[in-house]
Amino acid sequence: MRVLVTVSGTLAMCLGAAILSNAVAWEGEPPPPIYNPYPPGILPPDLNSELARVLREVDVIEGRALQRWHALTPPVLTGQPPTLQGTGTEAIEILGELMNYDKTISPNENVACASCHMPYVGFSGPIPSVNLTMVAYPGTAHFRAGKRTAQRYPYAPFFPVLQYNQAQNSFFGGNFWDSRATGYLLRNPDAEQAQHPPVDTQEMGNPDTACIVFKLSKAKYRPLFEQVWGKGSLDIQFPGEAEDICEIPGGAAIFGSNTTPLRLSPEDRLRANEAFNHWGQAIDAYEQSVQVSAFSSKFDAYLEGTYTLTADEKAGYDLFRGRGNCNSCHLDGRSTAPTPPPPQGTAPNGQDTGAAALTAPLFTCFGSSNLGLPLNPRDAIYYQDKPDSFGFTANPAGFGFRDLGLGSFLRSVAAPNPNSTWTQFAPKSDGLMQTSSARNVAMTPSSCPTTEAPGPYFQKEFFHNGYIKSLKQLVHFYNTRDKRGYAFNVTSGHCPKGTIEKVNCWPKPEVPNNLDMTIGDLGLSDHEEDLIVVFMRTLTDGFTRPYANSDTYTGACKTGGSAATQGNEFLIPTPPLPPCSAGICDVPPVPGPLPIP
Amino acid sequence: MNRLHVKPASVAAVAGLLISNSIAGQSTAYKAEELPPAAKAARVHITQGPELESAGDNSAIIRWRSDNPGGTDEHYGVVHYGTNPRELTQTAKSHIRLNRSHSYTIFRVRVDGLAPRTTYYYTVDSMEANGKGDGVKSVVKRFTTSGAIS
Repeated sequence: MRVLVTVSGTLAMCLGAAILSNAVAWEGEPPPPIYNPYPPGILPPDLNSELARVLREVDVIEGRALQRWHALTPPVLTGQPPTLQGTGTEAIEILGELMNYDKTISPNENVACASCHMPYVGFSGPIPSVNLTMVAYPGTAHFRAGKRTAQRYPYAPFFPVLQYNQAQNSFFGGNFWDSRATGYLLRNPDAEQAQHPPVDTQEMGNPDTACIVFKLSKAKYRPLFEQVWGKGSLDIQFPGEAEDICEIPGGAAIFGSNTTPLRLSPEDRLRANEAFNHWGQAIDAYEQSVQVSAFSSKFDAYLEGTYTLTADEKAGYDLFRGRGNCNSCHLDGRSTAPTPPPPQGTAPNGQDTGAAALTAPLFTCFGSSNLGLPLNPRDAIYYQDKPDSFGFTANPAGFGFRDLGLGSFLRSVAAPNPNSTWTQFAPKSDGLMQTSSARNVAMTPSSCPTTEAPGPYFQKEFFHNGYIKSLKQLVHFYNTRDKRGYAFNVTSGHCPKGTIEKVNCWPKPEVPNNLDMTIGDLGLSDHEEDLIVVFMRTLTDGFTRPYANSDTYTGACKTGGSAATQGNEFLIPTPPLPPCSAGICDVPPVPGPLPIP
Repeated sequence: MNRLHVKPASVAAVAGLLISNSIAGQSTAYKAEELPPAAKAARVHITQGPELESAGDNSAIIRWRSDNPGGTDEHYGVVHYGTNPRELTQTAKSHIRLNRSHSYTIFRVRVDGLAPRTTYYYTVDSMEANGKGDGVKSVVKRFTTSGAIS
């Protein structure tokens, strides 16, 4: 439905006279031209067919969720305070699932939340060729795209509200790579996270949060929404032009700075805001459910005593919490009172022999760090420096863009920071990205049983900018980033002759400040790196019971090559970089002590 | 109702006081896996190093291993350095996270902004996130940056 049959006076008042001449009166007309500011090779050649493939898979899961809903024994609202007794929990989880796989929420009905987060890859990016090339996934307006990889859903609901911890002088919690979903209002970062992509100009791109509510009011599962959140929760008098306005992607010039182009009465706006909060809360319920955060890995079985790690898995685990030091941030829930080494205790090499302190460790400390990833010149964000047909430009700075992560958020550059007392900490937060749970980092479709070449493998992308393409490379980066002779003062694509990027050449960090030095020269052998990869596979859900909807992948696997150089054939030379954009690096308090190059 | 009536000026003054004395959204209450700082070690000995891990024209990495100092998980290695061994007036610090299940800690500090082909002298220490030092004693050592002869 991309139709604007009539343009009423109300709509004209709402959007101004400009829309009368520029409007999307597209019935019978061709759709807007494809936005393609990218040089050849940035958009993968199979992009359209892969987007269509994922949408088909999304529809399969949506169909299953509808069946679950129809089979659900309706909960009974009873008690004081009123509670949906019996199946209330399942009802809100199914509601969140139905929303998550609902492509009709997007303006062009071509993007669901799940389009960038499919279960068979632990809810990370589902398109191998995108993971190899443009890094960020296309949104509803083809082909706008974001700037970072799709973070995994599982265990995100367990992150606390973002807080500045004065004892540790550090931030903990929040959702997103830059922690910008703080949870300050709903007291739930995951629920607030779910509110961002639907109105992100480069993702779903709704121009108004009320557009999501408008579409929920027409959804098949509206009765379930009203059952969970109450009768009348979607009874909103939307203007006749709502459908037309909601089909124009956010950021379009005709909206100007107006973030509420749907004209609603104050009462209806309040109701729409409340329903949009319920959108986030229901999706959070789904993500926290066993459908997503399953705690069903080999490692969980090991903690329960029902699985014995193989010799390689155990050796990898010992390295993970030993010389690899991975569990300093990816906490494994071991005893915090280690047995000391001889002669005081019995632990060899000072390794922990204590019992597990947590039965369901999350493999994150909820913190953030700057690991020193090089700038990835394939990232689609750098090329979106020209306006699209709606007059929207995602990144006017082009290659002047620098991703300062948490620091940019604290300065309200990336998103509004709700706490001005945090702004002072921006310089020491530049380059920091959230420590994701290590759980499910290795999850792939069963048809492509590994992330690693020669496979058959599923091509994933790792870290916030997708620079790393295999788990072998990920561990090798931690192990050798600073190793003597490996660190070069070059950008990606310019490693010296005789070296191999990601093997024995690491380009310089994008953000030189606040580098985390817990890692960088771990002294692990090649085989020891491999063992840590083996261990990480024990963190994949679906071992003790099937992982819901992990059977839906219908794409192909890749084969050949080696994990160490996986994806290197797609490296491109970073162009000469202009200085960091003033809109990023000149915003006080400015980055320091080193300037951002 | 009168008790709730506060003059706007008073509100502003109170709000200012609150902001100046605290950081909104701070927390000293620990949740989930975020634990209170570990007990601080009585004395922290360096068991290996400090030594130069690597040096370029304008930067160097200094490394040492000590007992696990305990205290805040968020920790910093500190290098005091200068070109005169009696005037180590410059400071570099790098973040690491302590591993509570380790009896030892490896500190690594990046020292940037150095001059090529120059000898620097240094001592090291480590400190908690709040700046409280671990009381590490280290001898004065030295390293020389690389670089072409100009």
